[in-house]
Amino acid sequence: MCVLQETKFSKFTSFLFVLPYLVVFVAFLLIPLIFGAYISFHDWDLLSSTHKFVGFGNYAKLFDPSTYFHSVFMNGLWNTIKFVIFSVPILIVGGLLLALLVQHLPDKLKGIFRSIFFISYAISVSVIAVLWLWLLDTNSGLFNHLLAKLGAAPVQWLTSMPYAWISIVAATVWWTVGFNMIIYINALNEVPDELYEAGSVDGATPWQKFWSITLPSIRPVMVFTIVTSTIASFNIYGQPYLMTRGGPGTSTKVLLMEIVDQAFVQRQLGIASAMAIVMAIIMIVISIIQFRLTRNNEGNEA
Amino acid sequence: MKKLSVAGLVLMLICGMLAGCSWQQTSATGEDKNNVKLWVPFSGPDGPKFEEIVRSYNKSQKKYNVDLQIIPSSEYYKMVNLTLSSKNNLPDLMIMHADRIVDYATKDQLLKTSILTKSKKISAKDYHPKALQASKVNGSTYGIPLDIHPLMFYWNKDLFKKAGLDPNKPPKNAQEFREYAKKLTVPEKSQYGFAVPTVGTQPFLFQTILAQKGGKLYSDGHFNYTSKEALNTLNFERDLIYKDKVSPSGLAIDGDLKLFLQGKNAMHFNGPWMLAQFEDSGMNYGVAPVPQIGEKQQKVWANSHNFVIPKKKEGEKLGAITDFLNYVGNHGMAWAESGQAPASKAVYTSKAFQKLNQQPKVAESFDFAEYPPQVENWGQVSEFLNQEINLVLLGKKDSKKALKDAQRKAEQYLE
Repeated sequence: MCVLQETKFSKFTSFLFVLPYLVVFVAFLLIPLIFGAYISFHDWDLLSSTHKFVGFGNYAKLFDPSTYFHSVFMNGLWNTIKFVIFSVPILIVGGLLLALLVQHLPDKLKGIFRSIFFISYAISVSVIAVLWLWLLDTNSGLFNHLLAKLGAAPVQWLTSMPYAWISIVAATVWWTVGFNMIIYINALNEVPDELYEAGSVDGATPWQKFWSITLPSIRPVMVFTIVTSTIASFNIYGQPYLMTRGGPGTSTKVLLMEIVDQAFVQRQLGIASAMAIVMAIIMIVISIIQFRLTRNNEGNEA
Repeated sequence: MKKLSVAGLVLMLICGMLAGCSWQQTSATGEDKNNVKLWVPFSGPDGPKFEEIVRSYNKSQKKYNVDLQIIPSSEYYKMVNLTLSSKNNLPDLMIMHADRIVDYATKDQLLKTSILTKSKKISAKDYHPKALQASKVNGSTYGIPLDIHPLMFYWNKDLFKKAGLDPNKPPKNAQEFREYAKKLTVPEKSQYGFAVPTVGTQPFLFQTILAQKGGKLYSDGHFNYTSKEALNTLNFERDLIYKDKVSPSGLAIDGDLKLFLQGKNAMHFNGPWMLAQFEDSGMNYGVAPVPQIGEKQQKVWANSHNFVIPKKKEGEKLGAITDFLNYVGNHGMAWAESGQAPASKAVYTSKAFQKLNQQPKVAESFDFAEYPPQVENWGQVSEFLNQEINLVLLGKKDSKKALKDAQRKAEQYLE
């Protein structure tokens, strides 16, 4: 009897611990999401007093190649996917390399370099953009100045392809790679030293140790960083908005820029919500696939 | 902003709408009626100047009070849209750009200002007719203009001197402009006569030259993006970069401005709002109305800040608003100090105003100001054109094909 009461009580207390998160989750994520879905079924002009129900009309427009909405949506989506493909591998590998580098530094320097690599993550995107704009400007930027000193031709970092993407990816990596690095450093610290000792006894080279001990040990953390980096890269907005305005032409205009345009410049909330919902679905599907793939691998190995 | 998730976007909307269902149930009592809530987007160096006007107004009399709220300019219209949509916590008076008025007037969100001018305290005659005309939609005026801000011409006097040109004589026409630009270009020093912007201020420059050539982007319900004048304008700008080579190619955002501030770009177009920055830079610059580059007539792209009154269920505070606007019309000098030229005749014809350096030259441009065409969502519709112009000036696309694509996209959008 007593035991049962205790579990009830402990269930209640655990619920209390979850409650603050739950309230915030419902109020700021679940309700907006449902409301967003509701809006996406309407012709919702922000300034009109009536909002006509159109069913899947907004979604149909997104997938009808003859409409304007189709072209902006597809252009935005494709550019976003490009950015994800360019940035995620660098964020993952780069983060890991930096973590390994910091790990192998003398203890005195570890803290300093960890802070140096991480500190850019704490800066806001507008500052990042201004900084990189000054570095990358075609005529007055530092990079082209250095190139000129070396006798090389200036590069149009922000106004030609593929350099615009390279610049945006570089700025993003410089900005956020420190976050992944910190996570990897923690993961590397978790790898038991005995494994490496055993490896040394068996005569394993450093490369073999990395491949057979380090990587398998940090796999769960890698899955985590891959998924979070993908989601973060999907949500790209500030860097192209501030650095290229989506140019040259519309070749770096990403989906969130289009959605914000539709919602707040053109005040078409219905179509903007439909775009946002489709984008969310794509992100969810990709995350599920990523989890599935990595889980299958683990299963095979076991 | 990177963390701005899709859910976050929807969230912002909800916040705006839920705010509607709560508090703010005060009815307009006597006290409240005399308190005017005013929204402005002046988050730059112009903010303190505007604040000065409001502060001195509140001190000048006891009956009314203006409660000023400065909203960051990048967030301004987002806030305006969400607030108008929820109809709660609406300001009594707000600033709106002339080319945006049509969007809100056709959705019946704004009060006609004829109701103010009836009171005799404010008269349409007190303002420059171009500014009033620009706030007119379907024959009714919806705004009381604060200023007119045309595109202006700036030049570096030191570079003019070095090139053997009279530093006090800016070019007057296309021929001079081109000739000066060539003389001012020194490739060895990577100094350019005229850096052609590819984004940012480019649309203002394009629309200026186009209007000077007698072209129109929109008339009688049709886009004319492919007109002969538009093509000539675009080719003129493109040739400056690739034929005359008076401009570097592949300029990034504000690249032309950066070069100008570094003394490596001799001539520059920008708005009067740049005054403070140019003054601070300490360079020896001149300012004048834009040269007439198009052969047909003198015109210049311009826009205005207008006071507009959002429609409210509980009624608008017309007495207080009229009194305040009357005061601003007569005491707008502080606004001129931000570099802008007020549209009120009492200010721009005053002696104190005429003594200023740049501002009277801004006012000189009033008479040939050309506002953007009155099309709903002009910002977006013109974006199709701006993107294509960008590609041409970056040397990525043929100008004829670009204009055709812009036209097609704009038409598709309006369908």
